[in-house]
Amino acid sequence: MVVIPPLWVNMITYSSLITILSIGFTLTYLTAKIPNFAHGTYAGVGIYVVWTLSKIYGFSPYLGFPLSFIIGGIVSVIIYVLVIRVITRLGGGAVVLTISTLAIQILLTAMLSIYVYWARGVHGTYGMGFMLKEYDFKIGGYSGIFPMSFLICVVVVILLHILLTRTRTGVAMRATAEDPELASILGINIDTIQKISWFLTGGLACLAGAMYPLWFQSYPNSGGAIMVSIMAGSLLGGFNNIYGAIIGGFGVGFSEIVVTAWLQKVIGPGVGRWRPLVPMVILVAVLLFEPRGLTGVYERFKASKIGEKAFAMLRRKEE
Amino acid sequence: MIDIIGLLVGEISGTSRLIVDIAIYFGLFVIVAMALNFQYGNAGVPNMGCAVQVIAGGFTVSAITTRVTFMIVKAAGVELLPFASDFDWVYNNQYNVSVLTNSFLETHMLLGISLLLFSLGVALVMGAAIGYIISLPAIRLRSTYLMITLITMADASQIFGRNIPAITGGTLGIFVPNVFAWYPGDRGVLLAVVTLFIGLIAFFIFKTMLNSPYGRLMRAIRENDVTVGSVGKNVVGIRRNILIFASGITALSGVMVAFYYSYVVDNAFMRADWTYWPWLMLILGGPGNNAGTFLGCALIIALRRGIIVYKWYLERFLFFPIAYAESLILGILLILVIIFRPRGLIPEKLLYIPGINYRKMVKEGTAIDWREAKKAEQKTNRSKFWGKKERSESE
Repeated sequence: MVVIPPLWVNMITYSSLITILSIGFTLTYLTAKIPNFAHGTYAGVGIYVVWTLSKIYGFSPYLGFPLSFIIGGIVSVIIYVLVIRVITRLGGGAVVLTISTLAIQILLTAMLSIYVYWARGVHGTYGMGFMLKEYDFKIGGYSGIFPMSFLICVVVVILLHILLTRTRTGVAMRATAEDPELASILGINIDTIQKISWFLTGGLACLAGAMYPLWFQSYPNSGGAIMVSIMAGSLLGGFNNIYGAIIGGFGVGFSEIVVTAWLQKVIGPGVGRWRPLVPMVILVAVLLFEPRGLTGVYERFKASKIGEKAFAMLRRKEE
Repeated sequence: MIDIIGLLVGEISGTSRLIVDIAIYFGLFVIVAMALNFQYGNAGVPNMGCAVQVIAGGFTVSAITTRVTFMIVKAAGVELLPFASDFDWVYNNQYNVSVLTNSFLETHMLLGISLLLFSLGVALVMGAAIGYIISLPAIRLRSTYLMITLITMADASQIFGRNIPAITGGTLGIFVPNVFAWYPGDRGVLLAVVTLFIGLIAFFIFKTMLNSPYGRLMRAIRENDVTVGSVGKNVVGIRRNILIFASGITALSGVMVAFYYSYVVDNAFMRADWTYWPWLMLILGGPGNNAGTFLGCALIIALRRGIIVYKWYLERFLFFPIAYAESLILGILLILVIIFRPRGLIPEKLLYIPGINYRKMVKEGTAIDWREAKKAEQKTNRSKFWGKKERSESE
């Protein structure tokens, strides 16, 4: 049996979480045209759904995954209906909407903290900086979350692909993302489509958050703390492409964990403290050199002479 | 002279202490909020990284002013503990500053004042440099990209402060020399006066800039940058200049924060404190309007300081710590203001343009029919240009 080194286990688990979150972030950017800074904090909601289930009521955290998907979706739809839709109808621009998502982030974090404080008083369970590793099962020497997170990531990607390409709702979602006015002329109810997409993004973020405490130490703010990695993953893949977010998420996870560890070996152990800077460097580098991310690189390659030849050769092989 | 000032300002305590505290915080935050108003309210540059420039100011004091002070004091003959290496810099810092340097500064008023001016000047330059650096990646792109980058920059600068002991002593922090040690009265009063004075100067600078042709250009960029670009103005360059200029002014606030706390550590410059609260002040008061910024700043500062001072009284009514209540208030107020008062408490005013009484024109409803005037001109041009063709057609 091939033994996977713990570094790669760590990297794949982390990358799966970042990828699921990045896909949701990109989906919000496509449909609502704003970067949702509260996206990371939805993961915080998922973290505390699982915490409540397993620490207080003693269930397995895996039971909390579908529940947190639903709760996260509902929270997200409530936020859309109460804040985002109202501000959009009042004519607020992208900047104002983005500021409102920041406000939601602050609000949600505070509410989660209050919930944790209250639960400590009522149930006597401490919820700051907890982990659920002892509730996890073992597969062949690995923690269960390692294969599960990768599996869930793959399943999410496949289901999302089917939804977006094979169903009427998905096609309507893509049409709304391209041009909302034209879509509404064609008889698509934009409000419903928006609600569905916000439900999906919130649910996906919460699902990723539910997996978080099985591998990392969790606080009410830990969702907001990985926000930079999420944005870097989303931007690396290209803001306008959901499939780019998959490569982007894994790229960010890889460079944050494997590249940092490799640099620690080469340069010295002091490099480890600079790890939070890695996603920021990716973000700035992408913005400086190719603002459309890997999607832009791919399109540029396709348009170049070498790329045209390569694609022509590929086509010939297929024939 | 100094004795007279000392007699005028005696011991302050109780409510007057609260007033002085509010005055200092008002001065500190009004500088940040005014610079933000200059950037977002007038030029439409959403600077979500005010914390970066405040940090630049604070780090200037801890890394440069403190070292310069040590060198001067050492040259004057005071036996300082060694401070060259990182270890000595952090561990001898407290004794060096609070015992040796401050007692030296007590008798040297001119040195204190010149150190204050020196750090303000250096912070202005450092803030402008930081503004240039953070403008590099995203100033050409859409405003949302700029926001994303600037928010991450605030975290990045905190990481730099935490990991390089030469700047602020890592996580332990650095004590800063008391440049007001020569003042016999209460230090807070003098600090409040100086901070408010800097705020006043900044206000006049911003006001002058706004009422100049450059200010009208800024508003034009905010309204429609494509049009401004099409008439031959360098939109990207102007945006970058605005960010650089406002960054320099914001860094002054950071200097005063460092002198007020007498202590610099990266955690003192949290993103929430120095980015989100100034944004709330700006949006509450009304973007594009300095009077609104003043009002918003005063209201928010009074609220926050009041909450902190009457914390023990308020906590009886809450079942959770008051710190969470503060974030709740921040989030809820921000959303409510955006929804119910999108133009702020005091809406934006028209700019002063010399030679044109624009307000009177609006009030009287003087209609200048630009369209008709243009059309008439076009008609003549067209007939001149197409004259022959039209004639040939008619023939």
